[in-house]
Amino acid sequence: MSAVVRSRPWLLTLIALAVLVAVNTALQPSFVQPAVLQSNLTTFLPLTLVAIGQTYVVMGGDIDLSVGAIAALVNVVTVSAIAAVGGDGLTPIIAGLAAGLATAVVCGVINGVLVAVLRLQAIVTTFATGIVFAGTALFVLPQAGLPVPEAFWRSYGATLIGLPVVLWILLAGLAFALFLGRRPFVAHLTAVGGSRVGAFQTGLSLSRVRIGAFVLSALFAGFAALCLTGETASGDPLLGQSLALSSISAVVLGGTALSGGSGGPVGSILGALVLGMIGNVIFFAGLPFAWQTLVQGLIVLAALAGGVLVTRR
Amino acid sequence: MTLRSGLTNPLTLAAIAILALLAVGETLSPGFARGDQIVRLLTVAAILGIVAAGQNLVILGGREGIDLSVGPMISLGAVIAGNIMAGANAAILPAILAATAVTFLIGIVNGLGVTLVRIPPLVMTLGMTAIVQGGLVVYSQGIPSGNAAPALMAFINRPLVLGLPGILFVWAIIAVGLTFLLRRTAFGYAVYAIGANERAAMLVGLPVNRIRCLLYGLSGFFAGLTGVCVIGYTGNSFISVGDQYVLSSIIAVVIGGTSLAGGAGGYIGTVLGAVALVLLQSVLTTLQLENYGRQIIFGMTLLVLMLLYGRQGRLRV
Amino acid sequence: MTPGEAATAAGGQDAALLDAQGVGKRFGAVVALSDGRLRVEAGEIHALLGANGCGKSTLCKVIAGTVAPDSGTIAVGGDVVQFRNPRDAEQAGIALFYQELSLIPQLSVAANIGLGREPRTGLGFVDRRRLNSEAEALIALFAGVAGAELKPEAIVADLTPDLRQIVEILKVLARRPRLIILDEATAALDGRQSARLFEILRARKAEGVSTLMISHRLDEVFAVSDRITVMRGGATVAQLVTAGTNRDQVVRHMVGDARIHPVTSQRMPPALAEPRLTAQGVRNARVHDVSLSLRPGEIVGLGGLQGQGQSALLQGLFGALPFTAGRVTIAGETVALTRTADAIRRGLAYVSGDRGRDAALTGRSIFENLVAALLVREKRRLVRPSELDPLATRHADSLNTQYAGLDAPIGTLSGGNQQKIFIARWLATGPRVLLLDDPTKGIDLAAKGDLLAIMRKLADEGASILIYSSEDAELIEWCDRVLVFNSGRIVTELAGPTLDHFHLARAAYGEAA
Repeated sequence: MSAVVRSRPWLLTLIALAVLVAVNTALQPSFVQPAVLQSNLTTFLPLTLVAIGQTYVVMGGDIDLSVGAIAALVNVVTVSAIAAVGGDGLTPIIAGLAAGLATAVVCGVINGVLVAVLRLQAIVTTFATGIVFAGTALFVLPQAGLPVPEAFWRSYGATLIGLPVVLWILLAGLAFALFLGRRPFVAHLTAVGGSRVGAFQTGLSLSRVRIGAFVLSALFAGFAALCLTGETASGDPLLGQSLALSSISAVVLGGTALSGGSGGPVGSILGALVLGMIGNVIFFAGLPFAWQTLVQGLIVLAALAGGVLVTRR
Repeated sequence: MTLRSGLTNPLTLAAIAILALLAVGETLSPGFARGDQIVRLLTVAAILGIVAAGQNLVILGGREGIDLSVGPMISLGAVIAGNIMAGANAAILPAILAATAVTFLIGIVNGLGVTLVRIPPLVMTLGMTAIVQGGLVVYSQGIPSGNAAPALMAFINRPLVLGLPGILFVWAIIAVGLTFLLRRTAFGYAVYAIGANERAAMLVGLPVNRIRCLLYGLSGFFAGLTGVCVIGYTGNSFISVGDQYVLSSIIAVVIGGTSLAGGAGGYIGTVLGAVALVLLQSVLTTLQLENYGRQIIFGMTLLVLMLLYGRQGRLRV
Repeated sequence: MTPGEAATAAGGQDAALLDAQGVGKRFGAVVALSDGRLRVEAGEIHALLGANGCGKSTLCKVIAGTVAPDSGTIAVGGDVVQFRNPRDAEQAGIALFYQELSLIPQLSVAANIGLGREPRTGLGFVDRRRLNSEAEALIALFAGVAGAELKPEAIVADLTPDLRQIVEILKVLARRPRLIILDEATAALDGRQSARLFEILRARKAEGVSTLMISHRLDEVFAVSDRITVMRGGATVAQLVTAGTNRDQVVRHMVGDARIHPVTSQRMPPALAEPRLTAQGVRNARVHDVSLSLRPGEIVGLGGLQGQGQSALLQGLFGALPFTAGRVTIAGETVALTRTADAIRRGLAYVSGDRGRDAALTGRSIFENLVAALLVREKRRLVRPSELDPLATRHADSLNTQYAGLDAPIGTLSGGNQQKIFIARWLATGPRVLLLDDPTKGIDLAAKGDLLAIMRKLADEGASILIYSSEDAELIEWCDRVLVFNSGRIVTELAGPTLDHFHLARAAYGEAA
């Protein structure tokens, strides 16, 4: 049992998720209806995606506090690009997506170069770049607005081969995580996070691996931003402010140690869903509104503590 | 000391930054560096400096020490103090005691989570942030009542001796006391020791967990005290009044040359860091930039400061 | 290699496999290397010797691309090369065994061995089956001496120190280098494991692969090496053919004019007195039912193979790894040692050989490192450096420590001098019981001599000393009696005529003495 849990700490996160789903269903019988499930998934998806990207940075022994600001920047760049290209059809949307994701990659490279090449501490650096990215987002779009074309948000809320698009996106994220997990990159990332000196002496290119992780983190923050754009159908320079800290909670809940060198994105996906479900359950438990934040805080901290205790030997 | 090491010494650099910012401010807006303006800036810096004192201790203690919960603890301190004072001078002392006692205990809980349960500090204090925020909502029902006593407001906002408000003397006492604690007491030596190598500290007989708990407790204490200062500065409070101090307290510590890895640094640097940070914000306000311009310059300045001396060692030497 | 062949090589007609000339490197104000010279021929085992801080590890790291030299040239097979990083050196066929290990604790043995050069499937995925089978083949080299836990899937963090060291060796071998550099590769290995390593190296030598070995064990050096290069004070001082020299000559080159401590003969057994420290039936994670008694003035050794519970016993007595059962008395009084502070205040001191992990307050001054235990022992509240400086200086000087000043960071000292500061840390507390956990790991002969002298002096003044050493010679020369450990138990006690290499080795391997 303990060996299984140690190598796959996310099994416990999965059990927690199952319990939360059961409790939620008991409190809110309509939870299992496809429409309700889809709307819940739509709410949880952005954090889930950010958490996948954050996992890679954390596995490499770094941390990315700028993901929320990157999401805001990608959001405003996307809607501004769509508006700038103008017109109907797919062209403006594709231009918007490309501009948004390119912005994300640039942000990731900036973070990665500052941390891995110029050797700055990740936590303060990404906090500072986060301020710069957030400022840039305000520069691009000072006020919330600029609606996106109907095709954009309609297709985000649509179904494809009988399944909602949001579910396809989640599955794609999972598939990507599994794909990458079998590539040498993740082994090298684990090595870089587990022992910098050891990885260097072994001849790994530390900066390339760490920059790669930051780019992945930024890219997933970008995907999350596109999902949020699909959900809100407009631009908001202040969007996603809680994403950084929530994604770190999700990563820890999923069994990845903040010290680096262990864990993986599958756990973080479950961790993000658990975080969302905790909010749900508290909402439907009928607590007085004033108490909800407190109780949610207590449960999340207890879950984090539990996660830490389980992954520790 | 060579010129190069002098320039990369955080204390020198922070001092140079302070002078440069004063010069820039004065150029942009004559009167920026006037005596009363500087006193006003120092008052703001003192409030930041007091919360940064606790942050400094936690970071010095190492093992990724950091306290993200100072924000809501400041708010809680302000709300408790406001409720107890309710505008009455006689209740100032009980208000200070109650506010700091509660936040000290919250800090101790942080410390217990970090030491006994071994939750990473970032996660523990992040979780505590949500809990204290929730607790504040319950305690105040969303809209804090109560306000500062006139004597407290005078102590913080009006000149007391030599044209300086009382809070600056409190800050000076904290700076001297904390520096003495760190450099001349066994407790201070123990803080650096556990920050430098926790296992070695345990093997020389230091009660590592107890010391670390106390550091988080002290961070809570200073956050509570900051809360009292905040309500004394503005007169009343709201439930997120402390949020702005979380990251600025960490940055003041980093600008002051304390390593986030722990075991190296000190409070004098943090004092300079707090002054430099407040000056920077003030200069950016003077520039009358749009919000985004302020943010971008602020973030860039941080990055430049980090590039100057926050760099970590090369793996290949 | 015969002397005739050596002459050819020295003549320099053929390009050597490795030829380093005039290599220099300084770290801040400290000159680590001034004139490192080294010439390794193809197909030889070459020993690099010298006292601590002589620059031999730095020279190896320069050759392996981990450290950037300030001056000098390095030629591989006649071509001058400039390595920018370890990868460049690896591509030139050079692989270094790192004394402090370059393993990733969280990864499996196979992943560590293959790190950075993983076999891939057609889709670009890591071919785990091939990764594991390649590791399996390498592990087989140590079959019979390495314990069954050493498997491709095992996580490195779970392995004992000797097995981790073997994995590091396998990682070097997996790179199929032309030049293997082993920096203290046998430090954590027991006799059979070391012997197996040398068999492997001889086999590689027959294939034309060379080995450059750093070792503090002269027996090993004379048993396996073809030639010897000796360094002193950052420069190469002698290049010798092993068959044409002897230990005395080598040691003289190593220490130069420095005094060599004479090996003192067995001491008089201490007078019968009440035991200072006794343990009855103590247990913890790695100690099973151990009893012993230690009298004032006695130096008692703990022998046996690596990791048989010796260190766990010392840490248990010190309160760092508290006992779960049994009874400990100090001066006749039963004590419960659950915290190190209690042990320190009762006059116990613990010196670990693992400086980086157990002793160094990294980045702090020598002064802070030195007084750390004293402050606890004396329950001081205030620290006045001016008051403690003379005392700190006295204890640092008593071990002939070389340092610039008490305010200098601990990291400016060489490993051996750091260890002296950590020993001085405990001498300053005036210990009555000294627990030494492989204290001479990685320190040079002169420092060992100084440590022995200090131990003798303390014992003569009435202190009791319990020492574990991974070097049998130290136990034999230094101790009044030796308790030999196997699997967490004392299997035998050696003293007087039975305290010799033969009995020690036999007892360690589980045969009755």
